[in-house]
Amino acid sequence: MRSYQSVLILKPDIDEARVAEALEKIGEFIKSNGGACLKIENWGKKRLAYRVKKNRFGIYLNLYHTLDSAKVSDLENKFKLYDLVIKYMVVRLEDDELERALGKESSIEEEEEASVKSAGKASVKVDDDDEKEEDS
Amino acid sequence: MPETKKSSVFSQKICRFCNDDQSKVYIDFYDIKALKPLISERGKIVPSRISGNCAKCQRILTRAIKKARNIALLPFAVEH
Repeated sequence: MRSYQSVLILKPDIDEARVAEALEKIGEFIKSNGGACLKIENWGKKRLAYRVKKNRFGIYLNLYHTLDSAKVSDLENKFKLYDLVIKYMVVRLEDDELERALGKESSIEEEEEASVKSAGKASVKVDDDDEKEEDS
Repeated sequence: MPETKKSSVFSQKICRFCNDDQSKVYIDFYDIKALKPLISERGKIVPSRISGNCAKCQRILTRAIKKARNIALLPFAVEH
């Protein structure tokens, strides 16, 4: 049994219910093959660095899981055949890397929240400026 | 002058990933904020003689960048 990290890119134009459905399906597949899902992260919709199957955006999912090393090819085959997945990558993790990944709280989400907050502030500032201009 | 500009970005010849306590260096391939400055405008990996990274960290870094390219977080080449 080894630990792996799977990063999936789903089609950008599906709603959250279908994302959850896809996660459930993949989780079930991992469980039925003797693995365990350790941590699931949803990175949300991101701009891709290059076009993948004519998509410029994609919904990123990140899974930390264990799996039999013989079943990894099955998992990759599953991703390949799953029509919602446009790109995937399965990376083997060493024990220390896994511990680090699980110990670390999802910093990316925090960063995103921070950026959203700062964006909100920025928009507020812009509004202030507009008001000032109107006053003057 | 372009030369002074370049040296101001990568002025200090200090590895930016090495820790003081000699602990193991981890560079995540999904940590784009850390990887982006070490990619040139065309999407190439900046060599260590310019960035000042030590050889060990540069190896870990290139592996991280290549993984990030595979999953479309970083470009192989900049599109036109």
